[in-house]
Amino acid sequence: MIFLAIRYLLERRRQTVLTLLGVFFGTTAFVSVSGFFLGFQGYMVQQLVNNSAQVHIEARQDYLGPHDLDSSFFASDVGHVFWTPQPAGVKGYLGVQSPEAWYRRLDADPRVSAYSPILTAAALFNLGSVSVAANLIGCNPAQQAKVTSVANYMITGRFTDISTGGNRLILGDELMKRIGAGMQQTVLVSVGRNEAVPFKIVGRFSTGSRGVDLQAYGALADVQKVNFTPNRVNEIAVRLQDYRDADLLARSWSRLGPERVESWGDLSQNIKSVFSIQTTLRYFMITTVFIVAGFGIYNILNMTVSQKRQDIAILRAMGYDTFDIVMLFFAQGLIVGVFGTLFGLVCGYLFCRYLQTISFMQASPSNPEGHLHIALDPFIYLQASFLAVFSTAVASILPARAAGKLTPIDIIRQGG
Amino acid sequence: MGIVAKKVGKSFGSPASRVLSDISLEIADGEFVSLTGRSGAGKSTLLYILSTLDDPTEGIVEISGLNITKMNSEDLHHFRNQKMGFVFQFNYLIAELTAIQNVMMPTLKFQEQTKRRPHAEELMEKFGLKEKMDRYPRQLSGGEQQRVAIARALVMEPHYLFADEPTGSLDAANAQTVMSILTDCSVKQGMTVVMVTHDSGFAKMAQREIEIVDGKMIVDVEGKK
Ligand SMILES: Nc1ncnc2c1ncn2[C@@H]1O[C@H](COP(=O)(O)OP(=O)(O)OP(=O)(O)O)[C@@H](O)[C@H]1O
Ligand SMILES: [Mg+2]
Repeated sequence: MIFLAIRYLLERRRQTVLTLLGVFFGTTAFVSVSGFFLGFQGYMVQQLVNNSAQVHIEARQDYLGPHDLDSSFFASDVGHVFWTPQPAGVKGYLGVQSPEAWYRRLDADPRVSAYSPILTAAALFNLGSVSVAANLIGCNPAQQAKVTSVANYMITGRFTDISTGGNRLILGDELMKRIGAGMQQTVLVSVGRNEAVPFKIVGRFSTGSRGVDLQAYGALADVQKVNFTPNRVNEIAVRLQDYRDADLLARSWSRLGPERVESWGDLSQNIKSVFSIQTTLRYFMITTVFIVAGFGIYNILNMTVSQKRQDIAILRAMGYDTFDIVMLFFAQGLIVGVFGTLFGLVCGYLFCRYLQTISFMQASPSNPEGHLHIALDPFIYLQASFLAVFSTAVASILPARAAGKLTPIDIIRQGG
Repeated sequence: MGIVAKKVGKSFGSPASRVLSDISLEIADGEFVSLTGRSGAGKSTLLYILSTLDDPTEGIVEISGLNITKMNSEDLHHFRNQKMGFVFQFNYLIAELTAIQNVMMPTLKFQEQTKRRPHAEELMEKFGLKEKMDRYPRQLSGGEQQRVAIARALVMEPHYLFADEPTGSLDAANAQTVMSILTDCSVKQGMTVVMVTHDSGFAKMAQREIEIVDGKMIVDVEGKK
């Protein structure tokens, strides 16, 4: 029957090609649109999870509610307390309560690939008469480099140059420009009302993100010293073996101490909702394309069945049964579907490879040519094949079943 | 053995209109029988019932001792494929296949291509189509097309050959050729041939002529030749 199905298809080349094109375009569209969107999402996620830590363990500071202090002051003596003015501000801790316990826990957890204790202080950088406020991040550079990608963005110097301590700084490009400082120059850094301390600039980085580039890095001990808080750490940044564990781990860790534990995903809710809109849109589009292609196959097969009634009659008289006839037409749909899918996969793949060569985005150290990021995940191709073949199968089975139900006698009586 | 019909009747539709009633006949193995009668008498209806293509509303039909009305679908299709050949007024050749591919079509059902190929070529040669085996139906004359259709009916070397006005759309010369092929099948190869025809001359070429009038079998002329 496959033999005859193929003969039918070859004799009606134009219709065959037209139906094949439907599946072909559907598959190509699926592969390239998915490649584009998933590539973009993957790129964004990579940016998020590679450039910064995947789990943040931070000293918890909550805003005070108007009645948070009621019980401390009045216990349960009175039902209602009216404040003028109402209590405001934050409560909580300025540092991670027992960093040592966290270190032990993180060291023991096989899902953790690295972690870095950090003290971030809001500092004032002074050079001559210029003074700029920016975050000063104290860290152990060897550990920090394993957790975030800042070391990859160094323009001058090495990130580890601050590791020896001794009041050295690495400045972001933006901050550098605002102060108007050059390499090896000394700037005065002060935190709060504390006395200014001289720091020497030994490196410079640029990530392309202005907020990040308006920061400075120093050794953890140095920053603790200018902040007059020896041993204090207000964040532990954690990198995981698999970033997808972040949500789960963050949730379980947040029960272990007073700290606020957040995953990269918690901090990027807006991006995640953009992703889910994209995904919905993508599936909507692809479903539409496949429904259209499916209708094409359905129509043409229906037409073929009615054109081939005589053939069906004589085949039945030869001893071919219902199943053979169903297969004769189902096979035609499926052959078109499978070939359309294969061509679509190849063409979609080539198109994706082409898109990859287009310089579209802003160049950055991790993406020097500014190429588009296109996903070539085998899962996309698997999903496209499944959807395409499934929709052709559904579209083919109905006319094929109708063909199987035709009885030879009625057709022959009509004189063919 | 052969074909046995016992009190066969056939009605169509509702309210039922009776087309055949109370037909009992026996066709022996190797017999050549013609069915005649006026248009609308029920000849085709009877032929289709005797050949398993249609079911009787009453009575039973036995072929080779098997009650075909009780046969399961699988056995029925196997039986049709292996034991029966059909020729109709129109040739029903598949336009997408060459003459020889059309002839070979029944052999594909149970993968008997290699086994049957020599016989198919033999038939083509016998019917004067050797040079035209690879032509498509549209490249053949009406007579040639009908001969291809007969070759297709004979390729499985069936026991039974059913023909419904096989000469109906042919000119006199081509009709004559077809008739001699059918006679040959019965006389030389011992095939059981049941043929519906309008032509009284052709009807007389059969060993036995059965006339149907208003769904009843009235004349059964036997023992010619
Ligand atoms: N499916 C059907 N539904 C209703 N009536 C039918 C059906 N098939 C056949 N008939 C009727 O049965 C009668 C016999 O039909 P049949 O085809 O057997 O005649 P026939 O003897 O072969 O005629 P002809 O020589 O014209 O081919 C006709 O009156 C026809 O109208
Ligand atoms: Mg008739």
